[in-house]
Amino acid sequence: MKITETIFQDGNHKWVAIIRDPEKPNFLVDTNEYLVTHGGEGILLDPGGAEIFPAVFSALSSEFDPSKLGAVFASHQDPDICSSLALWLEFNPKMRCYVSALWNSFLPHFGGTAETFVSIPDEGMDIPLAGLALRAVPAHYLHSSGNFNVYDKLAKIFFSGDIGAALLPPGQDGLFVEDFDKHIRFAEGFHRRYMGSTEAKRRWCERVSQLDIDMLCPQHGAIYRGGDVQRFISWFDDLQIGIAKN
Amino acid sequence: MTTSAMTSVKRKAPRAGVDLLQIVRINEEIKRVVTVSFKINIMALNAIFLAKRAGTAALGFGVLSNELRVFSQDLRTCMESLTELIHACVGEVSIILQDIRLTRLLAEAARIVPQSAAPEILAQHDARNEMHAGKLSLLRSQLKRALEDAFQMVELGGVLAKSAKIEAAYGQSFALPLAQVSGEFDGIVEEIRGSLESLRRSPFFTGH
Repeated sequence: MKITETIFQDGNHKWVAIIRDPEKPNFLVDTNEYLVTHGGEGILLDPGGAEIFPAVFSALSSEFDPSKLGAVFASHQDPDICSSLALWLEFNPKMRCYVSALWNSFLPHFGGTAETFVSIPDEGMDIPLAGLALRAVPAHYLHSSGNFNVYDKLAKIFFSGDIGAALLPPGQDGLFVEDFDKHIRFAEGFHRRYMGSTEAKRRWCERVSQLDIDMLCPQHGAIYRGGDVQRFISWFDDLQIGIAKN
Repeated sequence: MTTSAMTSVKRKAPRAGVDLLQIVRINEEIKRVVTVSFKINIMALNAIFLAKRAGTAALGFGVLSNELRVFSQDLRTCMESLTELIHACVGEVSIILQDIRLTRLLAEAARIVPQSAAPEILAQHDARNEMHAGKLSLLRSQLKRALEDAFQMVELGGVLAKSAKIEAAYGQSFALPLAQVSGEFDGIVEEIRGSLESLRRSPFFTGH
């Protein structure tokens, strides 16, 4: 079963990170899921792959009634992001899935109906959660061509999807980045290879550096907080990307 | 319910995979029979022309050639209905395979969080699985019956081919080419019979 860590709470507004499953087979990439609850409603950010559904479901159930999960947000179309969709829909067939307009006819291959998907336009949109607005921030081509992050102005938390992701070795998989220089080595290869557009990266860095962010939460690896958030943005801005060895 | 669903999943998963493989093999054999029966049609047309050239000496042969032509068309129609049943079986097995994965994952969730809605949803899934397994079982019976019908048809084809052999003997100066054609008929019908025999023995029907 995965671990749940409450990373933010203010009254009924809460962010729960669902992380690190010790029973996960090694051939599956490790993922972080984030549950945001507000006023009794909940949205799950990047709900994860089908194979890890039992672990995510059980962890989420310890914090929130899964049948009350009103929506999921898929940063992009990859299987580790949302191939569990059909299983979540079993618990609430009316659940909505927010995803880039580019993918709303691709994701039904994982499950759902025409009513399930809410298309996010390229410029982004507000995602409602019990009167609160979570902002879907464009992050196209980083790495998917239709890609979004989520910004919560109230919690000052930025869900960055694959941006900031690190493939951590066993034993060095703490929830938060403790030593930026040491940590970033595990992120470098991933960013160089998976992120394809320097121009898109530059725009993203400009856009995100203007936001007031306490925590930058990627879908893989550890969470950047405090000064490490700006440190990461600067590092990413300088990084040469979109190059394969062959 | 959770335990029984898990047991059921463990039991069904390899079976459904094997079923799909066997269905694919049956389909390949059906395709072979269709190709061969098309060959009979062409051969029968040639035999009809040959019988016409032979005149009154090959009247019986001509009638039998015509019957063989009808047989080849009937056989193809029969194989088409078998193919439709095969496609329906593939559809059901695919649903079962997909459901097996979802049921396994739901069962795991229900095991970890028994107090959630997961056991109830799992029960619904299990009921759906049983429904599809029932449909597949029905299709399996229909396919078996259709295969028996095809076999009866081929028995008739065998009689026609052997009668054509006898009629060829009365073909006077055309006896040799007529015997050759009727021999080919017989060979092809035997080939189809062999294919259908192997289909009859398919583990998809026998369960072994």
